[in-house]
Amino acid sequence: MIRKIAWHRRYDEKRELWIGWWTLVVFYNLYGLLFFVIARTQPPPPPSLEPSEIVQWFADRRSGLLYGYAIISIVGGATAIMNATLAYTMRRMSVSRAFAYSYLVIYALATLPGMLIMGVVCTVGAMRPDRDPALMSWLYDFAFLSFEGTMGVFLIGSLIWMGAVLLDRNRVFPKWFGYLNLCNALTEVVVAPAWIYKRGVFAWDGVIAWWINMAVFVTYTTVFLTLLRKMIMREDSGTGPLPELDPDRAPEPGGTLEAAR
Amino acid sequence: MRTDGELILLWTLPVLGIIWLSVFLLFPGFVHPMSPTMSAEEVAAFYRDPGNLSRIRYSMIVFNWFAVGLIPFLALIVMQIRRMAHRTPIFSYSMIACAAGGPTIFLLADLFWLLAAFRPERDPQLIQLFNDLAWVTFASQVGFLIAQSVILALAIFLDRQERPVFRPWVAHFNLVVAVLLIPAAFVGLAMEGPIAWDGLLSFWVRNIAVGVWIVVMGVVLGQAIERQRAEDEAMAT
Repeated sequence: MIRKIAWHRRYDEKRELWIGWWTLVVFYNLYGLLFFVIARTQPPPPPSLEPSEIVQWFADRRSGLLYGYAIISIVGGATAIMNATLAYTMRRMSVSRAFAYSYLVIYALATLPGMLIMGVVCTVGAMRPDRDPALMSWLYDFAFLSFEGTMGVFLIGSLIWMGAVLLDRNRVFPKWFGYLNLCNALTEVVVAPAWIYKRGVFAWDGVIAWWINMAVFVTYTTVFLTLLRKMIMREDSGTGPLPELDPDRAPEPGGTLEAAR
Repeated sequence: MRTDGELILLWTLPVLGIIWLSVFLLFPGFVHPMSPTMSAEEVAAFYRDPGNLSRIRYSMIVFNWFAVGLIPFLALIVMQIRRMAHRTPIFSYSMIACAAGGPTIFLLADLFWLLAAFRPERDPQLIQLFNDLAWVTFASQVGFLIAQSVILALAIFLDRQERPVFRPWVAHFNLVVAVLLIPAAFVGLAMEGPIAWDGLLSFWVRNIAVGVWIVVMGVVLGQAIERQRAEDEAMAT
């Protein structure tokens, strides 16, 4: 009983962090569902489609695009709390606040070219199927190139996180995660030819620009969600090195769900 | 810390309110909101009408200046969240992220309207395309507005101290506003009716909700800052 009360106090102190963590987990899954299953804009269609095929592409998934991106418009602001939680990990490190601030601002503005503009453009494309095919083709390019071709924000953002992890002496994240950030940053470099090639491995639907990048991104996201969960369990709300997790005092797995509410 | 500067920022809010209201009244496409059912020729004729064209340009130039004018006010809310009894800066960081994202969307819609008005002699299909992009951006992108209300509500709920910064009703009020903004996200689904971008829910309810939010939050924020000043003075003496 005393243990339970102690445990409750424990997880209660971390409720802000658990809200952040659960927001990340729920929304990454939701975004996957919306982009891959409902709107069906991922995996991306080829850039080489003719305007008449593009009109057909919009027609085939009209309601998926309209409903899918409407839901993204509603929940897209959740990225604010997600990025704030990740920025907090840098506050917990023994590095300047400038790292957390840079990460927060970069990812806040990344939401527009990286996700929301695609929603607006796909909605505009889907709402008038009888629009001139030449304009539909322009909307198609705008949507996919804004989504796939927005690189710098994620490049610089990952490098900032990498720098913070490598400099940190509070052992918030293991050093190898710093280098995994570099892998994520490199995917933003190799996607650049998508702005030039319409076919092949470098095109926006190609093996390099899309498939490898998506594999790295999914690995990276899974890894940082796992590491973030461990970090929250070890968090002591102090300023020095983060303590190692004591297996006896670790919260039961079911507790985290309760804490998120 | 001196809070005089915060009072100055707070009093930019009524000025901003008057400017936004003037833009709303000056832009010919708002008081009787333009219908998505208008054909490309009708949209082009709307922009080419000399009576409309200058009003579109002047109102959207003013809006270009002041679309981001709400950021100082959001920054004041960040300052109050920092005073709450939280253990991490996650909520104040989240509000900063919303302040960066939301106003940028208004600015983007403004660019599309100004582009449509820049060369109204362009092919009507292009004028209609810019007009669609402007309206869909303006109407559907409610995500950051919803997020800032929900984040503020959460921050208030978790502000467990004897005299919380904001009282619980402010949190409930913010959740109601967040719900009223949801229908606007679906503008792509209807050309007519309450969900269309000129409709009752997507246009009137949503914009009035935003207006009421600004007024109510302006008042409660003003009270919070006054209280903070009184407490600081009491501490100093």
